[in-house]
Amino acid sequence: MRAWLATLGVVAQMAFRNLFASRLKTIIVGGIIFFGGLLVVAGNSLLDSVVASMSRSVIGSVAGHIQVYNAKSKDTLEVMGRMMMGDPDLSQLDDFAKVRDSLLKVENVKSVVPMGISGALVTSGNTIDLALEKLRSAVNARHDAKTDAQRVEAEARVASEKGHVRQIVSVLQGDLKNAKAVLDERTIDPADGAAVNRAASDAFWQDFDKEPFEALEFLENRIASQAADADLLFLNYIGTDFQAFQKSFDRMKIVEGTTVPAGKRGFLFAKHVYEEQLKLKAARRLDQIKEGTENEGETIATDPDLKRMVRENVSQVREILLQLDAAKTVDFRAKLQRELGSQEADVGKLLAAFFQTDDQNFRERYDFFYKELAPSLELYRVRIGDVLTIKAFTRSGYVQSVNVPVYGTFEFQGLEKSTLAGALNLMDMVSFRELYGFMSGEKLAEIQALQKAAGAREVSRENAEAELFGSKAEDAPAAKAPRRIEATTTPGVAPVMRDLGESLGGKLQREEARSRVFPADEVERGVVLNAAVILKNPKKIRETIVAIEAQGKRDGLTLKAIDWQAAAGLIGQFVNVIRMVLYVAILIIFLIALVIINNALVMATLERVKEIGTLRAIGAQRRFILAMLVVESIVVGFIFGGLGAGLGVLLVSVVGKIGIPAKSDVWFFFFSGPRLYPFIGTSNIVAAFAIVLLVSAFSSFYPAWIAMRVTPRQAMQEEE
Amino acid sequence: MKAIVSVREAVKNYTLGNVVVPALRGVTLDVVEGDFLAIAGPSGSGKTTLLNLIGCVDTPTSGSVEVAGKDTRRLSERELTDLRLHTIGFIFQSFNLVSVLTVSQNIELPLLLQRKLTGPERAQRVSALLERVGLREYGTHRPSELSGGQRQRVAIARALVTRPQLVLADEPTANLDSVTGAHILDLMRELNRTEKTTFIFSTHDQSVMAHANAVVRLADGKLVDRVTPAQAAAENGLPA
Ligand SMILES: Nc1ncnc2c1ncn2[C@@H]1O[C@H](COP(=O)(O)OP(=O)(O)O)[C@@H](O)[C@H]1O
Ligand SMILES: [Mg+2]
Repeated sequence: MRAWLATLGVVAQMAFRNLFASRLKTIIVGGIIFFGGLLVVAGNSLLDSVVASMSRSVIGSVAGHIQVYNAKSKDTLEVMGRMMMGDPDLSQLDDFAKVRDSLLKVENVKSVVPMGISGALVTSGNTIDLALEKLRSAVNARHDAKTDAQRVEAEARVASEKGHVRQIVSVLQGDLKNAKAVLDERTIDPADGAAVNRAASDAFWQDFDKEPFEALEFLENRIASQAADADLLFLNYIGTDFQAFQKSFDRMKIVEGTTVPAGKRGFLFAKHVYEEQLKLKAARRLDQIKEGTENEGETIATDPDLKRMVRENVSQVREILLQLDAAKTVDFRAKLQRELGSQEADVGKLLAAFFQTDDQNFRERYDFFYKELAPSLELYRVRIGDVLTIKAFTRSGYVQSVNVPVYGTFEFQGLEKSTLAGALNLMDMVSFRELYGFMSGEKLAEIQALQKAAGAREVSRENAEAELFGSKAEDAPAAKAPRRIEATTTPGVAPVMRDLGESLGGKLQREEARSRVFPADEVERGVVLNAAVILKNPKKIRETIVAIEAQGKRDGLTLKAIDWQAAAGLIGQFVNVIRMVLYVAILIIFLIALVIINNALVMATLERVKEIGTLRAIGAQRRFILAMLVVESIVVGFIFGGLGAGLGVLLVSVVGKIGIPAKSDVWFFFFSGPRLYPFIGTSNIVAAFAIVLLVSAFSSFYPAWIAMRVTPRQAMQEEE
Repeated sequence: MKAIVSVREAVKNYTLGNVVVPALRGVTLDVVEGDFLAIAGPSGSGKTTLLNLIGCVDTPTSGSVEVAGKDTRRLSERELTDLRLHTIGFIFQSFNLVSVLTVSQNIELPLLLQRKLTGPERAQRVSALLERVGLREYGTHRPSELSGGQRQRVAIARALVTRPQLVLADEPTANLDSVTGAHILDLMRELNRTEKTTFIFSTHDQSVMAHANAVVRLADGKLVDRVTPAQAAAENGLPA
């Protein structure tokens, strides 16, 4: 035994000395293994850290640890990363309370949040529609005026609104001129052009007061349709119980307004959606330029994105112009002339000049915009407190419309900038069910009655879109009739209506949306699509999934439980994809390393043929030679692999202190905040060593085979 | 006296592609214990081939080679290696020291391979041999720091460290000048006398043959005769 150890000693000694003697080989081979070890440790640690923080993002923003849905569903549940695709085909869970009670029997379950995820395509209000509506109401007021004072006041209103409409028409006239310059003349309907020119003419406005209703009708029918400034908006929303949601997802915080009170209808915008999609675009771009220059250290001069935003602000002043009535036009002209020291009278040109910002004047212009201009503008297309009319296709293909008051905006702490985490808005469960087409028995009867009365016909999901957007019938009576199911007359748009008009129906509906309180029982005992489950011990996801499904069976429920990663759909897959990429990269690097190490070892072995022959001649068995080479490889592997892994650990822990800043909003989600703080996993160090040893072993095979074949006779050969 | 080496009608053919090169064409030779035998012959006459057969580095194509009573043709490659390790010592023409080991480590190497002695025993043997070959001061040196003669002395010490019955030396002085070569032969001769080790060495150098007990002459793969060094010298017209 001791002699055996002594042999191992000499083997090791020879191995060490050989390594030292052929330094170049050792450095090449060692260098590769060093970087291999570094890559495995640092890369895997980084990835594990991303997975861990991403899981916090997914779990903390909507998925919870586990999602539960009906096992009978045709599709699998995905709560994140869905874009404009249709809703997955999920079977409903009939009674949430029953599901919740069943889940809470499972030991590890902390809380359960009811959910339903869907989306609706909506168009936001058209500026000219609103302006015309105001003009019409002013004309009506003048018509109905009883006293002189009333008449004078109404006359002033009419004049102001007329100014606004004229302003809009002149913008449209400008558009038309531009269109003619850019597009083929023939593609523009000459009747449209004639209508705009007529509406822009002094004669039209001089005659306006003679036949105001006729003129209004002309504007509404011939002009409003041409001012296509209404954007299509796709809102994704989760129907949920706000109180349960907020308690379970404690990263959620209200930014503006308040949460929706228990039992009430209500809508909370994701702050990100609110800023990104509902804010006046010029203002949004100013915000982004400010963010870029002040927080990300970029400059307008060098960053192409910021440059583009400045360009868009200069060329897209129309959005602001449309909001200006006569008084505001005068006000803006004066302010901008002063600010710019300009004599220009055209507000559009003044705005374009104002938005032509550079790194020097940007901050001043930004402040000026928010202090002087913004107060006169509608910065958001929907304000907190407005009632939102959301129309969606129910599962049976009807178009269902629900009015929900907007209570505020919310965001998830640390994920403020993440598009992914900020894509879902929140809606109360009752409204969600109505939009999705879940009906209580009572409601169903009511609807069937209405249907008969209105002569509605069944519309399949496939052609519901055509039904909704296809016909450009007269103004939307549906929006004004409470609880009315879309019948054959469908409005041209499904607007986010800020102003439901002064009609009695509108008022009643708004009132109902604001004040009606649904009993807790109706909220809880209803249908949901899925439920998020928060666990006491998040490490036991797998076991809990099994337990949940088993408990469901005992309680007569067909529950399917999936972990957050599966629920995150594509985003969950994303991590696997990165991991695959890393593994493939490691594989390729190690394959290359294998080849290079192999070559270096073959060269070294060929150089040592005589020495090996001598050893064989003086009585060394083949296995001694093999042991010597293997020890050499292992020593190199361990030392350099160890150094590489060590540097990896050091690097990761240093970076773990400083953190890696998230460059773009996508990374906020994967980093679960503004910075990623990577950490070391011991398994990665073990993996690094295993891989390094494996590569060392594999790359030694061929050279070892060569060495094995060296005969003792080769010791005698004289190299001439 | 007992024969430690017994070669009977040994034939060795090498094949180079399709050509068969006869290196030995039936050599019969006995070497007794304690002999100090020279194998002489011109280049290509088969000296190295014969020594390889005796040294169990190669086996004959036909005929037999017995070393220490063992027929080499019946031994496996592993057994041949063991025979080399325990019974034979090798001295090479170009010394063949392991360049990465020190002088002492080179000498100790066969003992480590043998795995018979303890560390102190090995150290004791190595230092005694260092003393014996006159390299006491050089134990920690590297081979590259030594002269040719010193290196060959290290090689001799390495060959003798296991106290083999037989030491083979293939042209041990070919890479040395004549004075150094003579010293090496003197050393071998002395060890032969004191340690009773059998030496077989090859040479084509007349002055080297002079040290031997007997000279076996080879020509063209055949044993010509076995003569005294004096006879060999006389035939070549050189003083003994
Ligand atoms: N490995 C070998 N392959 C082919 N021929 C060889 C080989 N070794 C020796 N020979 C040939 O065998 C003959 C004897 O060679 P060798 O024993 O080396 O002679 P010496 O040592 O006396 O110079 C020579 O003709 C030589 O060319
Ligand atoms: Mg030779």
